[in-house]
Amino acid sequence: MLDIQNVSKSVDGKPIVQDIQLSIQKGKCIGLIGPNGAGKSTVVKLISALEKPSAGQIQFMGKDVQDWSVKKLAQHIAVLTQEGLAPYPITVYDAILMGRYPHLGFFQRESKRDYEIVEEVLKITDLTEFRDQLLDTLSGGERQRVAIAKAMVQQPELLLLDEPTTYLDIGHQLNILKLVQDWQKRDGLTVVMVLHDLNLAAQFCDELVLMDHGRVVRVGTSEDIIAKEMLESVYHANPEIIRHPKTNIPQILL
Amino acid sequence: MKIKHNLWVWLPVFFLILILVMSISVTLGAANINWQLAWQIIFSKIPGISTFIEESWSSSNETIVWDIRLPRVLLGAAVGAALALAGAIYQGVLRNPLADPFILGVSSGASFGAALVFVFGLQIVLLGRFTLPAVAFLFGFLSLLIVYFLSRVNQKVRLETIILAGVVVQSFIGACLSLVLALSNEHLQTIVFWMMGSLALTDWGYNQIIFPIILIVSIVSLFFIKELNMLGLGEEAAHHSGVSVQRTRFLLLILASIITGAAVSVSGAIGFVGLVVPHIIRLMFGADYRVILPLSIVGGAIFLVGADAVARTIMAPRELPLGVITAFLGAPFFGYLLRRAKRGYF
Repeated sequence: MLDIQNVSKSVDGKPIVQDIQLSIQKGKCIGLIGPNGAGKSTVVKLISALEKPSAGQIQFMGKDVQDWSVKKLAQHIAVLTQEGLAPYPITVYDAILMGRYPHLGFFQRESKRDYEIVEEVLKITDLTEFRDQLLDTLSGGERQRVAIAKAMVQQPELLLLDEPTTYLDIGHQLNILKLVQDWQKRDGLTVVMVLHDLNLAAQFCDELVLMDHGRVVRVGTSEDIIAKEMLESVYHANPEIIRHPKTNIPQILL
Repeated sequence: MKIKHNLWVWLPVFFLILILVMSISVTLGAANINWQLAWQIIFSKIPGISTFIEESWSSSNETIVWDIRLPRVLLGAAVGAALALAGAIYQGVLRNPLADPFILGVSSGASFGAALVFVFGLQIVLLGRFTLPAVAFLFGFLSLLIVYFLSRVNQKVRLETIILAGVVVQSFIGACLSLVLALSNEHLQTIVFWMMGSLALTDWGYNQIIFPIILIVSIVSLFFIKELNMLGLGEEAAHHSGVSVQRTRFLLLILASIITGAAVSVSGAIGFVGLVVPHIIRLMFGADYRVILPLSIVGGAIFLVGADAVARTIMAPRELPLGVITAFLGAPFFGYLLRRAKRGYF
């Protein structure tokens, strides 16, 4: 579905991302992890065509993402960033409805079907009671849930998340990731997410991509990546690795 | 949904207020003309209806209503609508509450162009008396292009850069303007008065140019309401939902600058309308551009027609600069609304 071929990106001669090769299968959840400045967010920006690679190309559904029109691409790829939506005073309902934008022609208004999709998503994301509230009156966690709902309404095949839980408490973190996980199972969605929290990454992703200094260090399962030597070499920290008592997934202790 | 419903209530109300203010304004002035008479004269000019109206007025009254007051009132409405719409678009696209139609140097450019016309007594043969608006418009548009290309780096324009570039170009052209003013003694008063804004130089000819421009641009801009709302959620968010941010922004800035240029070129730089009217609408009806754009258009028209009526009558026969009146009327009202607003609204 997504093929990242020898992609590099440098800004003012300084390499940010170097020679990335990555192939992502449909229906998988891929976690991008790595220290600050590893180039994770840039990879997301390159995939969503927000930035242009300096070399190489990214094939999405058989076509370079740079050749897609912004609108067409948004029919297939939705993105959730750590800032999410700006606290702009419009209603939750209207903000979510904007997710239908890429599916509408220039002169076309939303149809009954579009409104139905929004209603459905309001239920799934548990936002029905907030529908008439203004975005700027919501908390960060609630606003991030609106952003997820907006992405859902977009009905993409690929969802990119760039540290979607950074500013959230653990309750909201889990809530957001659960929503993504359920959605992925329900619709066969492909997910690429940047996460700082290694424990969450290990629990929610099928495969992890460990990055450092703009390069991919290793691709593998949480078993391969959440290992002492591996993390030490990249993070220059000394974590203890234990197993989650219920799921047996490796987790770190600091 | 709820807000949209509001629009269909408030838009007709606004239109009614506009018609009311306009008809009051037509009756104001040295010649005593009541508004029945004024409407009779106006209707008598409309083909089809004219046969039902008996002419019972002097031809001087007809001239006053039809050739002097009505064009002026209509021009006031058009200029007010243009400035308020441009302000609303600038504020939305630049995501900056301080943005007004003049922030990107369009008005300074236009004023400079106008000053040159006055000082050198320019008269382009083909354009005749339209030389002034044409040159003003051209200079206004040129300043916008300079701002835009100054702030274009790697084929991208960043918001902070464009606002800074606007400020810089504005002050540079402002300095050029001051230079021209300082060197020209005899035209000083004309230029200064023009810069403060006035609708006094009006006739139907001016209306014929500015009306189509404002009408077309307003209609076109209404097609970008969705995009304006989406830009409100952040530029990256807009991009991810399928808005070509760079292209949309360029287009909207051009549209807003065209109507600003058109308005400034016929009436001078009337301040405050473009800054305050959209904010008043926002404070009263919320931040949804589906409401802000249409109501700003009509609200701007109401505001400026009203202000012009005051400017004409309060110290009659002396006419006050329109820009002074708009600020006198707008600032206190805006202050009152700001105090009343319970939370951030932009």
